[in-house]
Amino acid sequence: MKHTSIYIFKILLLMVSFSAFAQEQAADTTTVAPKTYRYGIRVGADLHRLTRSLYDDNYKGFEIVGDYRLTKKIYVAGELGNDNMTVDDDRLNFTAKGSYFKVGFDYNAYENWLDMENMIFVGVRYGISSFSQTLNSYTVYQNSDIDNTGNYFPDVTVNSGTEFNDLSAHWIELVGGVKAELFDNLFLSFSVRLKNLISNKKPEGFDNLYIPGFDRTYAGNFGAGFNYSISYFIPLYKTQAKKAEEQAK
Amino acid sequence: MKKTFALFFLVLVSSVPFWSCEKDDLCAEGTPTTPSMVVEFFMDDNTSQNNPISNLKYFVEGMTDTIKITSSVSEIRVPLRVDATSVKWGFISSFTPTGATQPIVNTDYLEFKYTTQQTYISRACGFKTTFTLNEGTDTDANPVFTDEPGGTPWILDTSIERNNIEDENEAHINIYF
Repeated sequence: MKHTSIYIFKILLLMVSFSAFAQEQAADTTTVAPKTYRYGIRVGADLHRLTRSLYDDNYKGFEIVGDYRLTKKIYVAGELGNDNMTVDDDRLNFTAKGSYFKVGFDYNAYENWLDMENMIFVGVRYGISSFSQTLNSYTVYQNSDIDNTGNYFPDVTVNSGTEFNDLSAHWIELVGGVKAELFDNLFLSFSVRLKNLISNKKPEGFDNLYIPGFDRTYAGNFGAGFNYSISYFIPLYKTQAKKAEEQAK
Repeated sequence: MKKTFALFFLVLVSSVPFWSCEKDDLCAEGTPTTPSMVVEFFMDDNTSQNNPISNLKYFVEGMTDTIKITSSVSEIRVPLRVDATSVKWGFISSFTPTGATQPIVNTDYLEFKYTTQQTYISRACGFKTTFTLNEGTDTDANPVFTDEPGGTPWILDTSIERNNIEDENEAHINIYF
Protein backbone atom coordinates (compact mmCIF):
# COMPACT_ATOMS: atom_id res chain seq x y z
CA MET A 1 0.00 0.00 0.00
CA LYS A 2 2.87 2.27 0.80
CA HIS A 3 4.02 1.88 -2.81
CA THR A 4 0.64 2.90 -4.12
CA SER A 5 0.68 6.06 -2.06
CA ILE A 6 4.18 6.91 -3.23
CA TYR A 7 3.07 6.28 -6.81
CA ILE A 8 0.07 8.56 -6.49
CA PHE A 9 2.30 11.09 -4.90
CA LYS A 10 4.76 10.99 -7.79
CA ILE A 11 1.96 11.67 -10.23
CA LEU A 12 0.97 14.67 -8.16
CA LEU A 13 4.55 15.84 -8.20
CA LEU A 14 4.62 15.57 -11.98
CA MET A 15 1.62 17.85 -12.11
CA VAL A 16 3.44 20.31 -9.91
CA SER A 17 6.48 20.21 -12.18
CA PHE A 18 4.35 20.94 -15.23
CA SER A 19 2.92 23.98 -13.62
CA ALA A 20 6.47 25.10 -12.90
CA PHE A 21 7.35 24.75 -16.59
CA ALA A 22 4.21 26.53 -17.61
CA GLN A 23 5.38 29.39 -15.49
CA GLU A 24 8.60 29.70 -17.49
CA GLN A 25 6.74 29.84 -20.79
CA ALA A 26 4.46 32.51 -19.48
CA ALA A 27 7.51 34.62 -18.81
CA ASP A 28 8.62 34.42 -22.44
CA THR A 29 5.38 35.66 -23.90
CA THR A 30 4.35 38.40 -21.51
CA THR A 31 5.64 41.93 -21.51
CA VAL A 32 6.81 43.51 -18.27
CA ALA A 33 3.96 44.70 -16.11
CA PRO A 34 3.96 45.82 -12.49
CA LYS A 35 4.13 42.83 -10.21
CA THR A 36 1.20 42.26 -7.88
CA TYR A 37 1.40 40.51 -4.57
CA ARG A 38 -1.72 38.94 -3.21
CA TYR A 39 -2.12 38.55 0.53
CA GLY A 40 -4.49 36.17 2.23
CA ILE A 41 -5.09 32.96 4.03
CA ARG A 42 -4.36 29.53 2.64
CA VAL A 43 -6.13 26.54 4.22
CA GLY A 44 -5.96 22.90 3.31
CA ALA A 45 -5.50 19.33 4.39
CA ASP A 46 -2.70 16.84 4.45
CA LEU A 47 -3.31 14.31 1.69
CA HIS A 48 -0.99 11.66 3.04
CA ARG A 49 -2.85 11.38 6.33
CA LEU A 50 -6.24 11.38 4.61
CA THR A 51 -5.34 8.65 2.15
CA ARG A 52 -3.56 6.61 4.78
CA SER A 53 -6.72 6.66 6.89
CA LEU A 54 -8.44 4.94 3.97
CA TYR A 55 -5.97 2.18 3.22
CA ASP A 56 -4.23 1.56 6.55
CA ASP A 57 -6.38 -0.14 9.18
CA ASN A 58 -3.88 0.85 11.84
CA TYR A 59 -4.15 4.56 11.17
CA LYS A 60 -6.89 7.13 11.47
CA GLY A 61 -6.05 10.77 11.34
CA PHE A 62 -6.13 14.10 9.61
CA GLU A 63 -4.22 17.33 9.52
CA ILE A 64 -5.45 20.79 8.63
CA VAL A 65 -2.78 23.10 7.29
CA GLY A 66 -2.87 26.82 6.94
CA ASP A 67 -0.76 29.89 6.41
CA TYR A 68 -1.15 33.63 6.29
CA ARG A 69 1.07 35.88 4.21
CA LEU A 70 2.64 38.45 6.47
CA THR A 71 5.12 40.10 4.14
CA LYS A 72 6.32 39.50 0.61
CA LYS A 73 8.35 36.51 1.68
CA ILE A 74 7.24 35.57 5.17
CA TYR A 75 4.19 33.53 6.06
CA VAL A 76 2.79 32.55 9.43
CA ALA A 77 2.11 28.85 9.10
CA GLY A 78 0.60 26.12 11.20
CA GLU A 79 -0.82 22.65 11.31
CA LEU A 80 -3.55 21.19 13.46
CA GLY A 81 -4.16 17.48 13.54
CA ASN A 82 -5.29 14.33 15.17
CA ASP A 83 -3.61 10.91 15.00
CA ASN A 84 -4.75 7.48 16.04
CA MET A 85 -1.93 5.10 15.22
CA THR A 86 -1.51 1.45 16.12
CA VAL A 87 2.04 0.19 15.80
CA ASP A 88 2.61 -3.55 15.53
CA ASP A 89 6.26 -4.28 16.19
CA ASP A 90 7.89 -7.64 16.79
CA ARG A 91 7.63 -7.37 20.54
CA LEU A 92 5.13 -4.60 21.10
CA ASN A 93 1.70 -3.63 19.88
CA PHE A 94 0.47 -0.26 21.03
CA THR A 95 -1.88 2.53 20.05
CA ALA A 96 -1.06 6.22 20.36
CA LYS A 97 -3.81 8.77 19.91
CA GLY A 98 -4.09 12.45 20.46
CA SER A 99 -4.09 15.92 18.98
CA TYR A 100 -1.36 18.29 18.06
CA PHE A 101 -0.75 21.83 17.01
CA LYS A 102 2.22 23.36 15.23
CA VAL A 103 2.84 27.01 14.60
CA GLY A 104 5.72 28.90 13.03
CA PHE A 105 6.93 30.69 9.93
CA ASP A 106 7.71 29.89 6.31
CA TYR A 107 10.16 31.90 4.29
CA ASN A 108 9.72 31.85 0.53
CA ALA A 109 13.11 31.71 -1.14
CA TYR A 110 11.71 31.45 -4.64
CA GLU A 111 11.57 34.54 -6.83
CA ASN A 112 8.40 34.24 -8.89
CA TRP A 113 7.87 35.57 -12.38
CA LEU A 114 5.07 38.07 -12.69
CA ASP A 115 2.18 37.26 -10.42
CA MET A 116 2.99 33.57 -10.00
CA GLU A 117 2.85 32.41 -6.43
CA ASN A 118 4.90 29.24 -6.26
CA MET A 119 7.13 28.70 -3.29
CA ILE A 120 10.34 27.00 -2.37
CA PHE A 121 10.37 27.58 1.30
CA VAL A 122 12.14 26.91 4.52
CA GLY A 123 10.48 27.26 7.86
CA VAL A 124 10.33 26.50 11.52
CA ARG A 125 7.55 25.18 13.70
CA TYR A 126 6.95 24.76 17.37
CA GLY A 127 4.87 21.66 17.96
CA ILE A 128 2.77 20.61 20.93
CA SER A 129 1.08 17.25 21.26
CA SER A 130 -1.28 15.94 23.89
CA PHE A 131 -1.95 12.23 23.68
CA SER A 132 -2.47 8.87 25.33
CA GLN A 133 -1.05 5.45 24.68
CA THR A 134 -2.47 1.99 25.10
CA LEU A 135 -0.13 -0.94 25.35
CA ASN A 136 -2.21 -3.59 23.62
CA SER A 137 0.14 -6.53 23.94
CA TYR A 138 3.77 -7.44 24.29
CA THR A 139 5.94 -10.49 23.92
CA VAL A 140 8.34 -10.91 26.82
CA TYR A 141 11.96 -10.94 25.76
CA GLN A 142 13.07 -14.25 27.23
CA ASN A 143 16.58 -15.41 27.52
CA SER A 144 16.03 -19.06 28.34
CA ASP A 145 18.46 -20.45 25.80
CA ILE A 146 20.90 -22.31 28.01
CA ASP A 147 22.61 -24.77 25.70
CA ASN A 148 22.35 -22.87 22.38
CA THR A 149 19.33 -24.79 21.18
CA GLY A 150 16.92 -21.87 21.33
CA ASN A 151 14.76 -20.63 24.16
CA TYR A 152 13.67 -23.40 26.52
CA PHE A 153 10.27 -21.87 27.12
CA PRO A 154 7.88 -20.87 24.33
CA ASP A 155 7.22 -17.18 23.66
CA VAL A 156 4.77 -15.56 26.02
CA THR A 157 2.57 -12.77 24.69
CA VAL A 158 0.80 -10.74 27.35
CA ASN A 159 -2.42 -8.94 26.44
CA SER A 160 -1.84 -5.93 28.57
CA GLY A 161 -4.34 -3.23 27.67
CA THR A 162 -2.65 -0.80 30.03
CA GLU A 163 -3.50 2.82 29.27
CA PHE A 164 -1.11 5.69 29.75
CA ASN A 165 -2.90 9.01 29.85
CA ASP A 166 -1.95 12.67 30.08
CA LEU A 167 1.17 12.40 27.95
CA SER A 168 2.59 15.39 26.17
CA ALA A 169 5.53 16.46 24.04
CA HIS A 170 6.98 19.68 22.69
CA TRP A 171 9.31 19.91 19.77
CA ILE A 172 10.90 22.14 17.13
CA GLU A 173 10.66 21.38 13.42
CA LEU A 174 12.76 22.56 10.53
CA VAL A 175 10.73 22.57 7.35
CA GLY A 176 11.80 22.59 3.73
CA GLY A 177 9.36 22.33 0.90
CA VAL A 178 7.67 23.46 -2.25
CA LYS A 179 4.24 24.85 -3.02
CA ALA A 180 2.90 25.06 -6.52
CA GLU A 181 -0.30 26.59 -7.79
CA LEU A 182 -2.07 23.86 -9.76
CA PHE A 183 -5.15 25.84 -10.69
CA ASP A 184 -6.42 29.22 -9.65
CA ASN A 185 -5.81 29.52 -5.92
CA LEU A 186 -5.35 25.77 -5.51
CA PHE A 187 -1.94 24.80 -4.20
CA LEU A 188 -0.17 21.50 -3.87
CA SER A 189 2.54 21.42 -1.27
CA PHE A 190 5.21 19.02 -0.28
CA SER A 191 7.55 19.43 2.64
CA VAL A 192 10.05 17.44 4.65
CA ARG A 193 10.51 18.01 8.33
CA LEU A 194 13.35 17.39 10.73
CA LYS A 195 12.25 17.41 14.32
CA ASN A 196 13.87 17.67 17.69
CA LEU A 197 12.06 17.01 20.95
CA ILE A 198 12.36 19.66 23.63
CA SER A 199 10.24 17.97 26.25
CA ASN A 200 8.68 14.55 26.33
CA LYS A 201 6.51 13.44 29.21
CA LYS A 202 6.96 9.69 29.22
CA PRO A 203 4.68 7.24 30.97
CA GLU A 204 5.79 5.28 34.01
CA GLY A 205 6.89 1.83 32.86
CA PHE A 206 6.68 2.48 29.14
CA ASP A 207 7.95 4.93 26.54
CA ASN A 208 6.52 7.36 23.99
CA LEU A 209 7.29 5.38 20.86
CA TYR A 210 4.91 7.32 18.66
CA ILE A 211 3.83 10.89 19.30
CA PRO A 212 0.90 12.30 17.30
CA GLY A 213 2.31 15.06 15.10
CA PHE A 214 5.88 14.09 15.80
CA ASP A 215 5.57 10.51 14.49
CA ARG A 216 7.97 7.77 15.42
CA THR A 217 10.51 8.48 18.10
CA TYR A 218 14.07 7.23 18.07
CA ALA A 219 16.58 6.63 20.85
CA GLY A 220 17.44 10.34 21.05
CA ASN A 221 15.31 13.41 20.47
CA PHE A 222 15.43 13.22 16.68
CA GLY A 223 12.44 12.75 14.43
CA ALA A 224 11.50 13.16 10.79
CA GLY A 225 8.42 13.40 8.70
CA PHE A 226 6.83 14.77 5.58
CA ASN A 227 3.61 16.38 4.43
CA TYR A 228 1.91 16.64 1.16
CA SER A 229 -1.08 18.78 1.30
CA ILE A 230 -3.54 20.50 -0.93
CA SER A 231 -4.75 23.93 0.05
CA TYR A 232 -6.92 26.76 -1.18
CA PHE A 233 -5.88 30.39 -1.15
CA ILE A 234 -8.40 32.97 -0.02
CA PRO A 235 -7.14 36.38 -1.20
CA LEU A 236 -7.74 39.30 1.15
CA TYR A 237 -5.85 42.22 -0.42
CA LYS A 238 -3.22 43.07 -3.02
CA THR A 239 -0.14 45.23 -3.23
CA GLN A 240 1.82 46.29 -6.29
CA ALA A 241 5.56 46.30 -6.51
CA LYS A 242 7.11 49.71 -7.05
CA LYS A 243 8.68 50.45 -10.43
CA ALA A 244 12.10 50.95 -8.87
CA GLU A 245 12.01 47.62 -7.22
CA GLU A 246 11.14 46.01 -10.55
CA GLN A 247 14.09 47.59 -12.28
CA ALA A 248 16.53 46.70 -9.56
CA LYS A 249 16.17 43.03 -10.45
CA MET B 1 14.98 29.05 -11.92
CA LYS B 2 13.45 26.07 -13.65
CA LYS B 3 16.48 24.02 -12.76
CA THR B 4 16.37 25.08 -9.12
CA PHE B 5 12.74 24.12 -8.89
CA ALA B 6 13.28 20.73 -10.53
CA LEU B 7 16.37 19.99 -8.46
CA PHE B 8 14.53 20.79 -5.28
CA PHE B 9 11.78 18.36 -6.21
CA LEU B 10 14.31 15.65 -6.92
CA VAL B 11 15.98 16.07 -3.55
CA LEU B 12 12.66 16.01 -1.74
CA VAL B 13 11.30 13.00 -3.56
CA SER B 14 14.47 10.97 -3.19
CA SER B 15 14.59 11.66 0.53
CA VAL B 16 11.20 10.09 1.20
CA PRO B 17 12.14 6.38 0.93
CA PHE B 18 14.65 6.79 3.75
CA TRP B 19 11.98 6.84 6.34
CA SER B 20 9.29 4.99 4.41
CA CYS B 21 10.90 1.72 5.49
CA GLU B 22 11.34 2.17 9.19
CA LYS B 23 12.41 -1.35 10.15
CA ASP B 24 13.16 -1.73 13.76
CA ASP B 25 16.63 -2.30 15.01
CA LEU B 26 17.29 -5.61 16.69
CA CYS B 27 17.55 -5.94 20.42
CA ALA B 28 21.25 -5.35 21.00
CA GLU B 29 23.29 -8.24 22.30
CA GLY B 30 24.23 -7.73 25.93
CA THR B 31 21.05 -5.84 26.78
CA PRO B 32 19.84 -7.11 30.16
CA THR B 33 16.67 -9.00 29.32
CA THR B 34 14.79 -11.64 31.32
CA PRO B 35 17.38 -13.15 33.66
CA SER B 36 17.71 -16.82 34.49
CA MET B 37 18.23 -18.08 38.01
CA VAL B 38 21.88 -18.81 38.74
CA VAL B 39 22.42 -22.04 40.65
CA GLU B 40 25.78 -22.86 42.22
CA PHE B 41 26.90 -26.28 43.44
CA PHE B 42 28.68 -26.83 46.74
CA MET B 43 29.93 -29.79 48.73
CA ASP B 44 27.53 -30.86 51.43
CA ASP B 45 30.24 -31.61 53.98
CA ASN B 46 32.22 -28.44 53.24
CA THR B 47 29.66 -25.83 52.28
CA SER B 48 32.21 -23.22 51.23
CA GLN B 49 33.78 -25.56 48.70
CA ASN B 50 32.41 -25.66 45.13
CA ASN B 51 31.42 -29.10 43.98
CA PRO B 52 31.64 -29.18 40.16
CA ILE B 53 29.20 -31.50 38.49
CA SER B 54 29.55 -33.17 35.11
CA ASN B 55 26.95 -34.67 32.76
CA LEU B 56 24.11 -32.73 34.33
CA LYS B 57 20.77 -32.66 32.60
CA TYR B 58 17.75 -30.69 33.66
CA PHE B 59 14.21 -30.26 32.44
CA VAL B 60 10.87 -28.85 33.50
CA GLU B 61 8.39 -31.48 34.56
CA GLY B 62 5.92 -31.94 31.73
CA MET B 63 8.20 -30.61 29.01
CA THR B 64 10.01 -32.75 26.49
CA ASP B 65 13.20 -30.72 26.04
CA THR B 66 16.13 -31.41 28.30
CA ILE B 67 19.07 -29.09 28.81
CA LYS B 68 22.35 -30.99 28.71
CA ILE B 69 25.57 -29.72 30.21
CA THR B 70 28.36 -32.04 29.19
CA SER B 71 31.31 -30.20 30.70
CA SER B 72 32.08 -30.03 34.38
CA VAL B 73 30.50 -26.93 35.89
CA SER B 74 29.91 -25.55 39.36
CA GLU B 75 27.36 -22.95 38.22
CA ILE B 76 24.38 -23.25 35.88
CA ARG B 77 21.62 -20.99 34.58
CA VAL B 78 18.09 -22.19 35.24
CA PRO B 79 15.34 -20.21 33.49
CA LEU B 80 12.00 -19.56 35.17
CA ARG B 81 8.64 -19.42 33.45
CA VAL B 82 7.55 -15.85 32.82
CA ASP B 83 3.88 -16.86 32.66
CA ALA B 84 3.74 -18.76 35.97
CA THR B 85 4.64 -18.31 39.63
CA SER B 86 6.25 -21.69 40.11
CA VAL B 87 8.29 -24.07 38.02
CA LYS B 88 9.36 -27.60 38.85
CA TRP B 89 12.77 -28.50 37.50
CA GLY B 90 14.11 -32.06 37.46
CA PHE B 91 17.89 -32.31 37.82
CA ILE B 92 19.41 -35.51 36.45
CA SER B 93 22.77 -36.44 37.85
CA SER B 94 24.73 -39.20 36.10
CA PHE B 95 27.54 -40.40 38.29
CA THR B 96 29.82 -43.31 37.49
CA PRO B 97 31.39 -44.65 40.70
CA THR B 98 34.98 -45.84 40.45
CA GLY B 99 35.10 -49.42 39.19
CA ALA B 100 31.50 -49.38 37.90
CA THR B 101 30.70 -49.52 34.19
CA GLN B 102 27.16 -48.12 34.25
CA PRO B 103 26.46 -44.61 35.58
CA ILE B 104 23.99 -44.17 38.37
CA VAL B 105 21.24 -41.90 37.00
CA ASN B 106 19.39 -40.02 39.69
CA THR B 107 16.63 -37.43 39.19
CA ASP B 108 15.72 -34.98 41.93
CA TYR B 109 13.06 -32.29 41.62
CA LEU B 110 13.11 -28.74 42.91
CA GLU B 111 10.02 -26.59 42.59
CA PHE B 112 10.79 -22.89 42.74
CA LYS B 113 8.09 -20.45 43.82
CA TYR B 114 8.29 -16.79 42.96
CA THR B 115 6.48 -13.64 41.90
CA THR B 116 7.08 -11.86 38.59
CA GLN B 117 7.50 -8.22 37.55
CA GLN B 118 7.39 -6.91 33.99
CA THR B 119 9.78 -4.11 33.09
CA TYR B 120 9.94 -2.14 29.85
CA ILE B 121 13.37 -2.19 28.16
CA SER B 122 13.13 -0.60 24.71
CA ARG B 123 11.26 -0.70 21.41
CA ALA B 124 13.41 -3.51 20.03
CA CYS B 125 13.69 -5.58 23.21
CA GLY B 126 10.19 -4.95 24.52
CA PHE B 127 9.57 -6.10 28.06
CA LYS B 128 11.55 -8.34 30.39
CA THR B 129 10.40 -10.29 33.39
CA THR B 130 12.26 -10.22 36.67
CA PHE B 131 11.52 -12.55 39.57
CA THR B 132 11.44 -12.54 43.34
CA LEU B 133 11.84 -15.91 45.00
CA ASN B 134 9.41 -16.53 47.85
CA GLU B 135 11.03 -16.68 51.25
CA GLY B 136 10.98 -20.33 52.34
CA THR B 137 9.43 -21.15 55.71
CA ASP B 138 9.15 -24.36 57.74
CA THR B 139 5.60 -24.96 56.54
CA ASP B 140 6.06 -23.54 53.03
CA ALA B 141 9.49 -24.48 51.82
CA ASN B 142 11.12 -22.88 48.78
CA PRO B 143 12.38 -24.59 46.76
CA VAL B 144 10.28 -27.68 47.36
CA PHE B 145 12.35 -30.82 47.12
CA THR B 146 10.87 -34.07 45.80
CA ASP B 147 12.55 -37.27 44.75
CA GLU B 148 11.41 -39.84 42.22
CA PRO B 149 9.38 -42.60 43.89
CA GLY B 150 11.71 -44.98 45.67
CA GLY B 151 14.79 -42.97 44.74
CA THR B 152 17.70 -41.81 46.81
CA PRO B 153 18.23 -38.04 46.82
CA TRP B 154 21.50 -36.70 45.41
CA ILE B 155 20.63 -33.12 46.34
CA LEU B 156 21.13 -32.97 50.10
CA ASP B 157 20.34 -29.33 50.80
CA THR B 158 19.49 -26.02 49.13
CA SER B 159 19.62 -22.39 50.17
CA ILE B 160 18.37 -19.12 48.71
CA GLU B 161 21.27 -16.69 48.40
CA ARG B 162 19.52 -13.84 46.61
CA ASN B 163 15.75 -13.51 46.40
CA ASN B 164 15.66 -10.94 43.64
CA ILE B 165 16.44 -12.38 40.24
CA GLU B 166 17.27 -9.26 38.25
CA ASP B 167 20.71 -10.18 36.94
CA GLU B 168 22.89 -13.22 36.43
CA ASN B 169 25.99 -11.93 38.18
CA GLU B 170 25.95 -14.14 41.26
CA ALA B 171 24.21 -17.27 42.47
CA HIS B 172 20.60 -17.01 43.60
CA ILE B 173 20.38 -20.61 44.77
CA ASN B 174 23.01 -22.92 46.23
CA ILE B 175 22.69 -26.67 45.89
CA TYR B 176 24.66 -28.88 48.28
CA PHE B 177 25.47 -32.47 47.45
